[in-house]
Amino acid sequence: MQLLLQLLKGTGVTLEVFSLTLIFSLPLGFVVCAGRMTRILPIRWIVDLYIQIMRGTPLLLQLLFFYFAPFYIFGASLPRFWAAILAFTLNYSAYFAEIYRSGMQAIEVGQYEASKVLGFTKAYTFFHIVLPQVIKNIIPAIGNEVITLVKDTALASTIGVIELFRIAQTASSREFSTIPIFVAGVFYFIMNYVVSKIFDVVEKRMAYYR
Amino acid sequence: MIKAEHISKSFGDNVVLTDISFELKKGQVLSIIGPSGSGKSTLLRIITQLERADNGTLNIDGDYLFKSNGERAEYTGSKKAREIGLKVGLVFQSFNLFPHYTVLKNITAAQRAVLKRSKEESEEKAIVLLRKMSLEDKAHSYPFELSGGQKQRVSIARALALDPEVLFFDEPTSALDPELTREILKVIRDLSEENMTMAVVTHEMAFAKGISDWAIFMDKGVIVEEGSPAELFDSPKEDRTRRFIKSFEE
Ligand SMILES: Nc1ncnc2c1ncn2[C@@H]1O[C@H](COP(=O)(O)OP(=O)(O)OP(=O)(O)O)[C@@H](O)[C@H]1O
Ligand SMILES: [Mg+2]
Repeated sequence: MQLLLQLLKGTGVTLEVFSLTLIFSLPLGFVVCAGRMTRILPIRWIVDLYIQIMRGTPLLLQLLFFYFAPFYIFGASLPRFWAAILAFTLNYSAYFAEIYRSGMQAIEVGQYEASKVLGFTKAYTFFHIVLPQVIKNIIPAIGNEVITLVKDTALASTIGVIELFRIAQTASSREFSTIPIFVAGVFYFIMNYVVSKIFDVVEKRMAYYR
Repeated sequence: MIKAEHISKSFGDNVVLTDISFELKKGQVLSIIGPSGSGKSTLLRIITQLERADNGTLNIDGDYLFKSNGERAEYTGSKKAREIGLKVGLVFQSFNLFPHYTVLKNITAAQRAVLKRSKEESEEKAIVLLRKMSLEDKAHSYPFELSGGQKQRVSIARALALDPEVLFFDEPTSALDPELTREILKVIRDLSEENMTMAVVTHEMAFAKGISDWAIFMDKGVIVEEGSPAELFDSPKEDRTRRFIKSFEE
């Protein structure tokens, strides 16, 4: 019982990491995507490099970097929790940006041309014609990414964030038992079961057109 | 209604249009024929502002979209250009309907957003047009539920809903099988009987001959020959024209 309460508390922290990361990275991904698609070359190069680094190095390494690097540079670290949020946000923004970009590129040029000939403004075309189709296109890919994020939150334990995985691990070694780890696994499973059901519903709701 | 003078256009080194001049009078139908790559689409796209001309002069319904200064085409301001844009409609080969909108909304969206018509007014207009296209029962369908011919009729209705002065068709039947092609050709013919001013790029020679008041044959970016349909289709002067028209006869 005691254990279950502890694990539930850890789940709370995991969900905090999870939701804060999404709240920051889903919109930030748009900004990164815009930077990736801009005609201003220097910006595009920087954003390109940023995406390459975020996708090309281990998330674990990035977590350690954002926790330890400020200490060596500024003499002070971010709180563990916020260092984790920062690392997850920057990492996931890069992935979301690439998903947004592929979603944009999947829109046929004819949609823009028809909009132009009908007299729609650029803003109207983007928000009413392009964006709804992009969102529909990218929902499955976003779903995959969100499911990965639920599992990735466990990495926050490496910089000492006391979340679900960390609590389960500590309890396991304290009690010489794999049961806490197993229970944590069930919790992760349930979280992702809910996430995937939510995405199923969203996908179905958007299936009214093809 | 449309007066084009000496229009030219290149994509990089590729000269696509050279010295194109023609006139389209109110209530008339112009057909444009020519082999693939001759610049027919590019010409329509310049008139509908999807491309910019390099040089030349274009007058649409009394207003200059661009005027040659001898060197290059000088475009009018963007506000004026938008105004002129509203006078021309374009029907695409690939329909380009908005897949996330119902048929009705495809036809009302621009009326509301661009012409600021009320919901009631724009829907009324849409229903009238759908009836004309024999599609009144499809108002609440989505484009994916329609046949190619139905999609093209919706896209014609979508263009007509803005009351354009001139309607351009870029191979409106090329994506359709023969039966659906007839369906669309009939719609265009009906429009011509209502004296809609139109220019049609098409490979349907018999149709072009039957419907148009004037016909243009283009090849490699130039107008090789133009004339009344009787002249151009039955007794072409140029060898290239004759060969092109003959290639459709078997
Ligand atoms: N956006 C573009 N960029 C570069 N070249 C282009 C572009 N659009 C058209 N072209 C070139 O311009 C030339 C004329 O093309 P256009 O589409 O106007 O011909 P068309 O007469 O409509 O041919 P088709 O019957 O195949 O539709 C072609 O050589 C084509 O490759
Ligand atoms: Mg063409």
